[in-house]
Amino acid sequence: MIQDDIKSNVLTTTLESAINWGRKNSLWPMPFGTACCGIEFMAVLAARTDLARFGAEAIRFSPRQSDLLIVAGRISIKMMPVLIRIYEQMPEPKWVMSMGACASTGGVFDTYSVIQGVDQFIPVDVYVPGCPPRPEGVVEGFIKLQDLVGKEKLSDYAPAPTK
Amino acid sequence: MPIANILSKIKEEFPDAVLDITEFAGEKILHVRGQDIFTLLTRLKADGFNFLADLTAIDNLTLGGYERFAVSYHLLCHETVERLTVKAYISEETPSLPSVESLWKTADWQEREVFDLYGIRFEGHPNLIRIMNPDDFEGYPLRKDYPRLGHKERENFPVVDRGIQKKESNDQGN
Amino acid sequence: MTRVTELSLETDKMVLNFGPQHPSTHGTLRIIMELDGETVTKATPEIGYLHSGFEKLGEDLDFNQYITITDRMNYLSPLCNNVSYALAAEKLIGIEVSKRTEYIRVLMCELSRIADHLLNVGMLAVDLGAMTAFLYGFKLREDIYDLFEIATGTRLTTSYTLVGGLMRDIPDGYDKAVLKVLAEVDKVANDIETLLNKNRIWQDRTKKIGIISKEDAISYGISGPMARASGIEWDIRVNEPYSSYEDFEFDVAIALNGDVFDRYLVRMEEIRQSIKICRQSLEKMPSGDVIVDPGLGYSLPPKDEVYNSIEGLIYHFEVTMPNRGMTPPVGEAYVPTESPNGELGFYIVSDGNRTPYRVRTRPPSLINYSIFSKLIEGHMLSDAPAIIGSINVIAGELDR
Repeated sequence: MIQDDIKSNVLTTTLESAINWGRKNSLWPMPFGTACCGIEFMAVLAARTDLARFGAEAIRFSPRQSDLLIVAGRISIKMMPVLIRIYEQMPEPKWVMSMGACASTGGVFDTYSVIQGVDQFIPVDVYVPGCPPRPEGVVEGFIKLQDLVGKEKLSDYAPAPTK
Repeated sequence: MPIANILSKIKEEFPDAVLDITEFAGEKILHVRGQDIFTLLTRLKADGFNFLADLTAIDNLTLGGYERFAVSYHLLCHETVERLTVKAYISEETPSLPSVESLWKTADWQEREVFDLYGIRFEGHPNLIRIMNPDDFEGYPLRKDYPRLGHKERENFPVVDRGIQKKESNDQGN
Repeated sequence: MTRVTELSLETDKMVLNFGPQHPSTHGTLRIIMELDGETVTKATPEIGYLHSGFEKLGEDLDFNQYITITDRMNYLSPLCNNVSYALAAEKLIGIEVSKRTEYIRVLMCELSRIADHLLNVGMLAVDLGAMTAFLYGFKLREDIYDLFEIATGTRLTTSYTLVGGLMRDIPDGYDKAVLKVLAEVDKVANDIETLLNKNRIWQDRTKKIGIISKEDAISYGISGPMARASGIEWDIRVNEPYSSYEDFEFDVAIALNGDVFDRYLVRMEEIRQSIKICRQSLEKMPSGDVIVDPGLGYSLPPKDEVYNSIEGLIYHFEVTMPNRGMTPPVGEAYVPTESPNGELGFYIVSDGNRTPYRVRTRPPSLINYSIFSKLIEGHMLSDAPAIIGSINVIAGELDR
């Protein structure tokens, strides 16, 4: 019967859910690893904890080809303009995960040359605590980010009203 | 030649340059005047100390010492397996020393780092510019009168405006 | 039709910016290269992109707190940094540690050395296109991380040593776990060498590239596997032994050509010698205490003493409260140790307070890296990743 065929072969959803489902299950990260968290991030991508099973298969080192910027490691005052430039080069939609204590708040380094939290200058979506965070922690942050992406609305990306 | 002989000979030949020879925890330290460091290190290199292991500076503001700044050179002799620390003292008004880059090429970057962090100039250095801090950084961070939190250089960046209507996510997570 | 020859072609030098965000610069390095076609005529490295003010922090943290900061310098082998700082502080203060502490420190240093060399060879291989060596090395590094986790509690930033001893003793049965991993390391090292040593592509990309002569190596202050690959017979573990290294029997790998291939061979051989040292350390491990007398005011007493006896409680407060305990003498000390990169030493100056007056790290990465602009001249652009990989630059130690 036609009704049975339709029930088993056709899926109805809203446009937003479909788009969010596609975005969250194929987040392509760009690792911006500077210090020790960069090494732990390499361990996340390696065989034991594998980030590719969540869809993050294509690790590109080019900002123009990725949609998730993972800031892993402390950011110094010499590196901050580079980070801002790379963030601005990424096309929308884009998300930022701040991995580790140094990227989130400055970490152990309360000195003249470490930025005390990347979120002062670029918008951050997920903070993963730890020094360095365990690979399982990074995976949990990634799953939380996927939940956030799933709840987005299409009107979020409309241009902001000019003042 | 063992270290004690070398040091006593140097003390005889350069009586005004050598300020003192001390010993702590089994290692010998030679204290010299800043402007004579090049002649002394040339002499020590000829005596067998062929390896410059480390070059750094100390700000003696609260520790006390002959002068405010001391640049310390850690020498090593591969043949007799002996180490020697040479400290060159320079005053705060004229913080400058002859460069030893022509003796050991490793002094190139290490002297740049001392210049960047302490403001001590090295005459004869081929390229004395900042190495660790950005080029427009003002001040010399490792001096004792520079605050650890800096003078607000780390807050001086533009906030990125994405130009979209997205509100910051308030998800407290659970 | 006239053929365009190289001499008649009008070309200009191109300036290429390599980094600081680039997949094959290990960490935040930037190199400004002037290229004539594919050949590099001049390269200026620029560093400082990770400068965090470690040495300024050292003046505000006391002797035991600074150990957590030393982990973050050479983050591929953090235990070597911990041991090196503890040795310098102990020499300054004049504390003798127990034999068991020294043997455990040697075991941990050699395990870190294996992990560091595996990662370095893996990254060099990945930059030149051989991904398999990287994956084998990384899988083994996870096993070594497990060993660190059993002994110290964390994988990477261990902070295992204290001034005068260790944070805690190794548990029973640790030697069986270590021996199992060492057997794996042997196998993986053989696999990597089988894949790479006689490989035509590997040899073409690494032989005769980046040759360092013996005089240059001494003038530029190079130490560690880079110096030994140029024929300098200097290994601090043998020539100036520290922490009971004179009790162990091992060979030192020396090569004569000084190119990238030789540095790779020296590192692989050092992995094998480290396995030998680890086995000897486990066989001959003496029994005893790992924490020196807490009455001196430097090491924290064990927690069950703190909670169950009054002396333990008093010593704990003496160490942790701000204006009590910890009175080092006025002086300075520098202890050179052999880290996987070269000569690592901490130069500590003390003025009698709880916090050191000046803590300086002698960074082998910075000093080894300064020869880069000389090495790359005349080579092609694609040799740059090979040379950077063989120098083993670690940005945390470079910029501190």
